[in-house]
Amino acid sequence: MTIAKLTRAASVGLLISTVLSGAVWAQAITIAIGSEPSTLDPQLRDDGGERQVNDNIYEALMARSPTGELVPGLAAEAPTRVDDTTWQFKLRPDVSFHNGAPFNADAVVASVARVIDPANNSEQMAYFGTIKGAEKVDDLTVNILTTGPDPILPSRMYWMKMIEPGYAASGDLAGAPVGTGPYKLEGWNRGTDLKLVANDAYWGGAPQIDEVTYRFVAEPGTRLSGLMAGEFDVITNLLPEFTASVPKFAAVPGLETSVFVLGTDNEVTKDPKVREALNLAIDRQAMVDGLFMGYASIAKGTHINPAATGFNADLEPYAYDPDRARALIEEAGAAGKPLVVVGESGRWLKDREQIEAVAAYWAETGLQVTTDIQEFSQYLDSLMGDGPRPDAIFIANSNELLDADRELSFIYHKDGAAASNSDAEMAAKIDAARVEIDPAKRKALLDEVQKTAHDLSYTVPLFNLNDIYGMSERMEWQPRTDAKLMVSEMKVTE
Amino acid sequence: MPDFILRRLFQGLLVVLGVTATVFVVTRVFGDPVSLMLPLSATDAQRAAFAAQIGLDQPLPVQFWRFLTDIVTLDFGDSLWQRRPAIEVVFERLPNTALLVGAGLGLAVLVSIPLGAIAALRPGGLVDRLVVSLGLLGLAMPQFWLGLMAIMVFAVQLKWLPTSGFGTAAHLVLPALTLAMTPIARFTMMVRAAMIDELNKPYVQTARAKGMSLPRILRVHTLRNILVPFLALSGWEAITALSGYTVVVETVFAWPGLGLTAVQAIQRGDLFLMQAIVFVIAALIVIIGIAIDVAAKSIDPRIELN
Repeated sequence: MTIAKLTRAASVGLLISTVLSGAVWAQAITIAIGSEPSTLDPQLRDDGGERQVNDNIYEALMARSPTGELVPGLAAEAPTRVDDTTWQFKLRPDVSFHNGAPFNADAVVASVARVIDPANNSEQMAYFGTIKGAEKVDDLTVNILTTGPDPILPSRMYWMKMIEPGYAASGDLAGAPVGTGPYKLEGWNRGTDLKLVANDAYWGGAPQIDEVTYRFVAEPGTRLSGLMAGEFDVITNLLPEFTASVPKFAAVPGLETSVFVLGTDNEVTKDPKVREALNLAIDRQAMVDGLFMGYASIAKGTHINPAATGFNADLEPYAYDPDRARALIEEAGAAGKPLVVVGESGRWLKDREQIEAVAAYWAETGLQVTTDIQEFSQYLDSLMGDGPRPDAIFIANSNELLDADRELSFIYHKDGAAASNSDAEMAAKIDAARVEIDPAKRKALLDEVQKTAHDLSYTVPLFNLNDIYGMSERMEWQPRTDAKLMVSEMKVTE
Repeated sequence: MPDFILRRLFQGLLVVLGVTATVFVVTRVFGDPVSLMLPLSATDAQRAAFAAQIGLDQPLPVQFWRFLTDIVTLDFGDSLWQRRPAIEVVFERLPNTALLVGAGLGLAVLVSIPLGAIAALRPGGLVDRLVVSLGLLGLAMPQFWLGLMAIMVFAVQLKWLPTSGFGTAAHLVLPALTLAMTPIARFTMMVRAAMIDELNKPYVQTARAKGMSLPRILRVHTLRNILVPFLALSGWEAITALSGYTVVVETVFAWPGLGLTAVQAIQRGDLFLMQAIVFVIAALIVIIGIAIDVAAKSIDPRIELN
């Protein structure tokens, strides 16, 4: 194959080096991702591109199995609760950083201290807001202290990457990372590509793939072309309509759920009957088939991710019943009344298409529907600003920690940034669940909140979107529920 | 001449400041930069801390004064996205864009002058009609689509060239060709029209009557006469390329230039990087404008610069 390519390229007198690269070692692969990491410092940004690379370089105390189950990572076992505000982690012995420094309690203490240091103003504080600090107990035991009882601290520690304290003080964390993970950085051409090589001393055993190059390709059509031309082995965010044209692809339920938040104090939408009608009016299955080629699942009566801890599995998806929807609107005396649907365009997969399709379904109930697609900063102001709440506003909400708390606090809690209700009772329950250490009691509270919000139609949940990856013929890989791109789980068959 | 350049530089400075001030006002008055720049998950405390850190808690006039004084030292603040000085990012990407625009426009000039001249020799002839049709096609095809088609044909099907990326001469070919398409069409049409015009003038008849060969007439007389309008059009194309074409072409080909960086800065709400990019592009446009005027004057001394 190499020879054939060589002759062909030489015969037209064009450069051959790029054609050859990537075909030489069977164990080297190329992954095209949509956005370049902003920095390789693992503790400052909340940035998908950064994670797609750093998840292979760094590790956290906790990890998740490919199906989303929380398991020990750099911790030797699941943490234990010492008292209401202290969780104790035993660390995995004999782990070292890429520079040879040992991973131990001091590294954990320094990692925690650095990420929560106000001077660093880390964007990840949204995940670590409850953490007060860490204390070394012995070389392989650490206590993590929280400001109050925090039932989801173990999930939070799945998000916190462990850095090497000595290197953090003197080295270039932003450009030349040093972690404990299965891969180390080889080089980074800003704007173009980045290369990782296997860490042969990895505690979990050296990975099968020796070398991985990340290419930064923003345009989905170009990523597809690169895959078809044999330049890439894995591409992220394959559009559903492209699944037919790639050698191989894999789709898994992702972290994002699309939903409309309804203004429960607004003139028309304050009536629960109207809100129920809005939920019943949408043929979600038709949208799954038509818009997503089947690569989305209908939200199960709530916008909470089904893989998240605290998801209420007893809820049913809202049915499609346009007659009942029209009857409800009639009953509520809302026929002919105005409903403004607010949204944006180009931020999330098929956002505008979803908004317009739903608005069309809603118009069929007899409401006077207008759609307001806003410029993104204006949209953010509608979503999170102090102004009047929109009747209905679209958002594709992501749940990185895979715990229900954030999604509930953000959209159901009356003080949540994207919430459009004034339900004090519900807010109290969410607050109570956040500090409820007993898993069964916490689950009961979360279930109750989701049931109430479902029964009163506080939102119109739409779809749990799939993440779709395109792959070359030789790749073997099952993508993960938590959307992490773990190269150590990939295999090349040749 | 030096007078003229100084005056134009001063005017240019005002233009650049005006453009930058507009960006300042638009981004701060319409829309909230903090929610734009922080992820959706950011807490209220984070938002407040961030606003204070970048000085957004100050009154607008204070912010604007600080903004202006920082600009003097090319300090646009740290890019939020890359966490390093915004101007550093701009200067890192600018040469890549310059390379792309230079290659694309260079190619356009090389192709369009002979093409336009040949078409003009026999207006309405077969060659002319072919050139005009191709020109219209070139003007009508969106670069986005053209780029993707070029990738499909030359990279995916024929495998002659890489689909996207940066680093070798092979990586430059398709983006430069795509970028060149519209300028080729416009240059060719312009050269053709101007040449037809010139060739009908009496001096050409005279030269031919003297027995001068057509290629020599073209080279010595007519082409020189259309050089000034051609130069003006090139300047305009360079400006359009810098502020428009590169955005599309660089995105399609994952070319790490300023256009792609501008798209990413907007997507990530990186206000400081956007300001730095707008400032540098505006400055470049002013400089190109002056350079074109000066060049025109040196080609045709009759041109009044004032």
